[in-house]
Amino acid sequence: METKKKFEIERALATENQAISSGQLKEDNPLDTSETFRQFCEACRRGDLKVCQEMIQAGVNVNARDRHDYTPLILASLCGHYEVIQLLLENGALCERDTFQGERCLYNALNDRIRNLLLSYDYAKSTNPLQPLAAHITSLLTRPEPKTADITITTYDQSLHLHKFLLAARSPYFAKKLSAAPNTTTWKLPDKIPTESLAVATQYLYFSEVSMRRVMRGLSDEEELHVLNGIDKIGRQLEMDRLFEDITEVSDRRLLRQKRTDELIRGRDQLEVWFKENVLRNKVEVETAKVDDLKWDRHNSIYADILLRADDDDEEEDHVSAATEASPGPSESSTPPTRNILGLPVPSSSSSPTPSRRLRKSTIYPAHKAMLLRSEYFSTMFTSPFREAQQTPYLQIVTLDCSPKVLETILTFLYTERSDFGLDVAIDVLFTADQLFIEKLKQRAALIISTLGNGNSSTVESENPRGETDQEEMLDIYEVIRAGWDTRVQRLEEFGARYIAYRLERYIDTPEFAEIVQESARRVTARQETDTVELVDDIRYYLSDRFRLRFEDSGLDEMMDQGGDDADAIAEALEDLGVKDEKEEGGVIQKEVKNGGMLEKEIEEQLAVGAIRTLDGEIAGDEFAQDAINYQILLGKIDRLLENLNLDA
Amino acid sequence: MIAGRGRQRIRPPRRGLHGDEVDFDNTWVTIEAAFREIHTKNASRLSYEELYRHAYRIVLKKKGEQLYKNVHDFEKRWLSSEVRGDLQQLLSPSLLADPQSVASTTANERRVSGEKFLKGLKQAWGDHQVCMSMLADVLMYMDRVYCQDHRRPSIYTAAMFLFRDEILKSPLSPGDERDLLGLLNHVILEQIQMERDGDVIDKHLIKSCVHMLDGLYADDLESEDQRLYHVSFEKAYLETSRTFYHAESELMLQESDAGAYCKRAKKRIHEEEDRCRATLMESTTFKIREVVEAELIEGRIHDLVTMDSGVHFMIDNDRMDELNLIYDLNARVDDRKSEVTRAIQRRIMAMGIEINNEALAASQAPAPAPPPNAEGGDKSRLTQEKNVNMQTVAAIKWVDDVLALKDKFDKIWRESFESDSLLDTAMFNSFRDFINSTSFPRASEYISLFIDDNMKKGIKGKTDNEIDQVLDKAITLIKYVQDKDLFERYYKKHLCKRLIMNKSVSNEVEKQMVEKMKQELGPSFTSKLDAMFKDMSISHDLTNGYKNHVQGLGDRDPNRIDLSINVLTKTTWPLESLGGSGDGHEDNRPQCNFPAAVDKVKRGFEQYYAEKHSGRQLTWLPNMGSADIKAVFPKVPHKGGILKERRHELNVSTYAMVILLLFNELPADQSLTFEEIQAQTNIPKLDLKRNLQSLAVAPRTRILIKEPMSKEVKPDDKFYFNEGFKGSFVKIKVGVVATGNKVESDQQRKETEERNDKDREYVTEAALVRIMKQRQVFAHQQLILETINMLASRFKPEVSMIKRKIESLIEREYLERVEGSSDDYRYLA
Repeated sequence: METKKKFEIERALATENQAISSGQLKEDNPLDTSETFRQFCEACRRGDLKVCQEMIQAGVNVNARDRHDYTPLILASLCGHYEVIQLLLENGALCERDTFQGERCLYNALNDRIRNLLLSYDYAKSTNPLQPLAAHITSLLTRPEPKTADITITTYDQSLHLHKFLLAARSPYFAKKLSAAPNTTTWKLPDKIPTESLAVATQYLYFSEVSMRRVMRGLSDEEELHVLNGIDKIGRQLEMDRLFEDITEVSDRRLLRQKRTDELIRGRDQLEVWFKENVLRNKVEVETAKVDDLKWDRHNSIYADILLRADDDDEEEDHVSAATEASPGPSESSTPPTRNILGLPVPSSSSSPTPSRRLRKSTIYPAHKAMLLRSEYFSTMFTSPFREAQQTPYLQIVTLDCSPKVLETILTFLYTERSDFGLDVAIDVLFTADQLFIEKLKQRAALIISTLGNGNSSTVESENPRGETDQEEMLDIYEVIRAGWDTRVQRLEEFGARYIAYRLERYIDTPEFAEIVQESARRVTARQETDTVELVDDIRYYLSDRFRLRFEDSGLDEMMDQGGDDADAIAEALEDLGVKDEKEEGGVIQKEVKNGGMLEKEIEEQLAVGAIRTLDGEIAGDEFAQDAINYQILLGKIDRLLENLNLDA
Repeated sequence: MIAGRGRQRIRPPRRGLHGDEVDFDNTWVTIEAAFREIHTKNASRLSYEELYRHAYRIVLKKKGEQLYKNVHDFEKRWLSSEVRGDLQQLLSPSLLADPQSVASTTANERRVSGEKFLKGLKQAWGDHQVCMSMLADVLMYMDRVYCQDHRRPSIYTAAMFLFRDEILKSPLSPGDERDLLGLLNHVILEQIQMERDGDVIDKHLIKSCVHMLDGLYADDLESEDQRLYHVSFEKAYLETSRTFYHAESELMLQESDAGAYCKRAKKRIHEEEDRCRATLMESTTFKIREVVEAELIEGRIHDLVTMDSGVHFMIDNDRMDELNLIYDLNARVDDRKSEVTRAIQRRIMAMGIEINNEALAASQAPAPAPPPNAEGGDKSRLTQEKNVNMQTVAAIKWVDDVLALKDKFDKIWRESFESDSLLDTAMFNSFRDFINSTSFPRASEYISLFIDDNMKKGIKGKTDNEIDQVLDKAITLIKYVQDKDLFERYYKKHLCKRLIMNKSVSNEVEKQMVEKMKQELGPSFTSKLDAMFKDMSISHDLTNGYKNHVQGLGDRDPNRIDLSINVLTKTTWPLESLGGSGDGHEDNRPQCNFPAAVDKVKRGFEQYYAEKHSGRQLTWLPNMGSADIKAVFPKVPHKGGILKERRHELNVSTYAMVILLLFNELPADQSLTFEEIQAQTNIPKLDLKRNLQSLAVAPRTRILIKEPMSKEVKPDDKFYFNEGFKGSFVKIKVGVVATGNKVESDQQRKETEERNDKDREYVTEAALVRIMKQRQVFAHQQLILETINMLASRFKPEVSMIKRKIESLIEREYLERVEGSSDDYRYLA
């Protein structure tokens, strides 16, 4: 990859500035001097994933720059925080070749790994984050199955099958017109307006990138004018002020990109407003028992064609009741409902077995099949000739196996591409997204878990080599790892391994840890890929990462030479330990636990005193020696654990 | 585990996904019941959501394997009990009857029962597909998660395998080992056979069964080449087709002629192609075509081409369509179309040689006269001349025949052979071969004569277009001629006579012809011809210039003789062939004694010419010239007794003029003997004889009276001026016997060839020297090759001659052998 010469960059910068000051080009990286942004930059500098994610969710502009002309992306790549860079890029940080800031990022990248990551996100290759949403909506125009269109717009020689909710969301004219007469199924365009104009307007409405050049191909000047006039008329009639402006083509690549980005954001915002004011506002909360009495007419004010149902959690609190645990599905509540011969649940009036308990509630969301089709689950459901695909006088209710909050999160994502949700629902979203085959949401959930779940202390892991964490447990890391396995999200397993590695002292001796190692091992045998235990490999890797950073600071090689002697000593010490353990036969874990519990106290004491001791309580020469010995001890413990579990490593 | 700082914290997934067990058996009962509904087409009452959720939860609980197995078993049971049973019901006895002894059932019976079977199978397959895709929809999560992780085929794929194993590979009935697939193939093939025999069959039905076979695989890997259609049906289809067409071709060869065979074969090929499109798979088109072509064409084309009604017959009877068919068939199996090519070439050679022989026979038809001895007499001479005339006719006929042959084959080539370039070359070669065949050495001369004939007579009254066609034909023929130098020699000779005697109908056409030759054969070929034309035009200017010069002298002599003169460059013109007697060598060329008046003009011109071009020598060729004489015959009693003086303008040869002028000075009753005339004029005897014959013997132009009156002229014959000459026209042309272009006698031809060979030797030497000068040192073999190449455009040199020339060049020290190397030569500067 060739790098731009300095003068070339300077020239590019000058023309860019000119373009910006003359208003042609929007500033990609506006100056932001707010305190929030300063904090954000600081987090990027330190590599604090959690803070970064929180602030991104809070809405900080990832492409702004600070008073020293640094963007968050430049800071992160300069400081070498791979995960932070990934996070920024996934959230739309720009790194475009041939721009001043883009080249700065590449130039400042700490290593080739980061540089390649940045290059892989070059705008030329990556797509706009809203593009999947736009592409889906565009595809609705041509999608043959299942039928979702509910209004037909006709010109003198053609008819287009469109969606009322989209028209209402995108065009104030339609919003008024349709709310006045929601049952409208046809709309006739004045004969004067050519079909081409309508086609352009529809494409625009459906988020498609309109190419006027393609539309106009083969038309004479006169026809061209006619079509343009038609577009103008439609734009005015439908009250889409920007229609004409937005379809005007520009040649500049960056300008085009900015225009497209603006267009998509505007469109999404329209859709979001409509979604909130119609879909969400019309959700209904009913007693679960009475759900089946709910009748929604096919013709309704928000043009919904399907109802989605989510049931409240049985229990308000975290601990799960035994009754729920036994129940196989959510719709069947605590006692399995009576079934007919086909195994279909018969609408039962017996909802809750204990009348003393608060009545269980269900939430019903009206929705549009057209948007639900983004999930492969729904698209199969509405295409395959089962009950859900049949036309019924009243809208069908489809139950989703999740809480209303999760369902709302999912609907929000499907309609708006927004996926800002909290850690509290993250795991549920992950599972539901997996069940519904919404891959992007799955990845988002994993991202949120792996960034926000990183402990509340906000410490940067590399600054905490000794695994000191606050006592409060943010998350059940085992559950996270298992969720990662169940939903096949690699990122979560890696996150879990890293999380544990940096706190290994706390986990190594617990029976739960042994259990999850064994689970990981079982996964391996089932797959028959390798003989190693993946989780342990990952933990070892992150463990070495955790300690190596320390060693690197002071010259690893020297340390390792010195460490050779120490290692011998450790080996001896460990042997002693091992011998002792064997004698005790299987009591290893308890002993270690005891050891650990004791150690922590000791360390605390010693820290107070200022003495430096290793994990086995020996007093070490200095912090480095302590680290080296601790590292060896932890590795030794892993090995022994594997031995006990009869696992090859 | 308390939420830290009141902020959000992660919770384990609700409803505890771990630890609690799904009740697999109960759930499975639900699912199985639903599947039954699907198979009995009651799916619209089932909830997708619920079924999916059940399957999802089972898979999430790591029970995917069990679910997969249960579904698999369910489907297997369903197919083997329900579906297989239904299908077996459809098998009628006539269907199961031994294919060998089908005689007991009628074709219609078999067709009906076959169609019933196919319909049933199609229905079963269609249902299976629909049901399985619904099952796959429900089990989507299992497919994506369990099957992918465990490398299992998706449930849909597995079910397709089941259909293959449980239905197609199942025995027909408990006692019958044959399987359904074999029966299916058999039924389809039988239906196809019916269609071949002219019946109408349900193509769509077969096509859907074929689609089924195409969608199933023989192995479990779904490898592309393992489609059941390929491994099972297609193989059988190709096999039976091969047998069928083998037998059919044998029968057709016996029963029909080549044309009918070709039509039938082509129709069959089209039928099979259509069948692949409409009934089977397009991918088979290529393979079945290969089979049909192999059986109907490849093995038979030789017999077909050579049979009585084969190519020979078609050519002779102008069966363009059939030729086209046979060409097309041949082209299908052989890019080079060698069978047809061979047949065509054989036919051209045969017809060409026939034409050659006819020409030879015609030219020799009257038994060759004995060589004219001294006493040969008029008769033998006349027969000789007649003979020569007949040869000319034969030559023209030969050319016409060849052109007609060429037209015929061109037409065949255009209309039947799709203007195939390979055949074009082959036909060209055949034409060239027979035209240049060693048994027929006259092609060059004949072609030149043909042009000559056309230039003099043929093109009279023709439009430009027609003339162009004639010229093009001539060019076509010239292209065939290998010994271009020989042709050039003849052409020059003929052209020379035409130019000097002014025999050409149009000078323009002459030039056109040369222009065409230049385009086809290159400018070096026509350079001499161009020079001849140039001489003519220069001479024209010269004559005019001289005329002006004479007028400018002011010497106005009313009796002055007009002179029109052609000055010919000696090296350009083939004057030796014009020498008449052929013995006119430079030194002993007889100088004719011109009458004084003429001599004066001659000297005047010589003077004029010498002034314009110094250092050039003019040699007069009176034998080539002609003169216009105004002759006054004394009054003789005319009809009704009126005495009238008669004036005639006589156009005579230069010699005749000289002779006639002698009588001007002679009293009317005096005579001159032959010897006296010869002595006075010094005209070569042969020429004199000829001229006297035309003046005194030819019936219409007896200006002289010969005594005794006989054809042969003897030295002591006397000649008088014929005062009583009667001519019906004012202008009288006195022809000279035996001018004009005729076929050469054998003797002449021999001379021409000798001269030509000599020229070739010079040209060869020149080529050798040129090559050696460039290469300096060159090996013998290469030298010969290169020489042949260089000369190819002119003629085909003989190697022995080249060798001889090399020897001669070594002798003359142009070349030397390189010492130590056996066959290298070095050029000596």
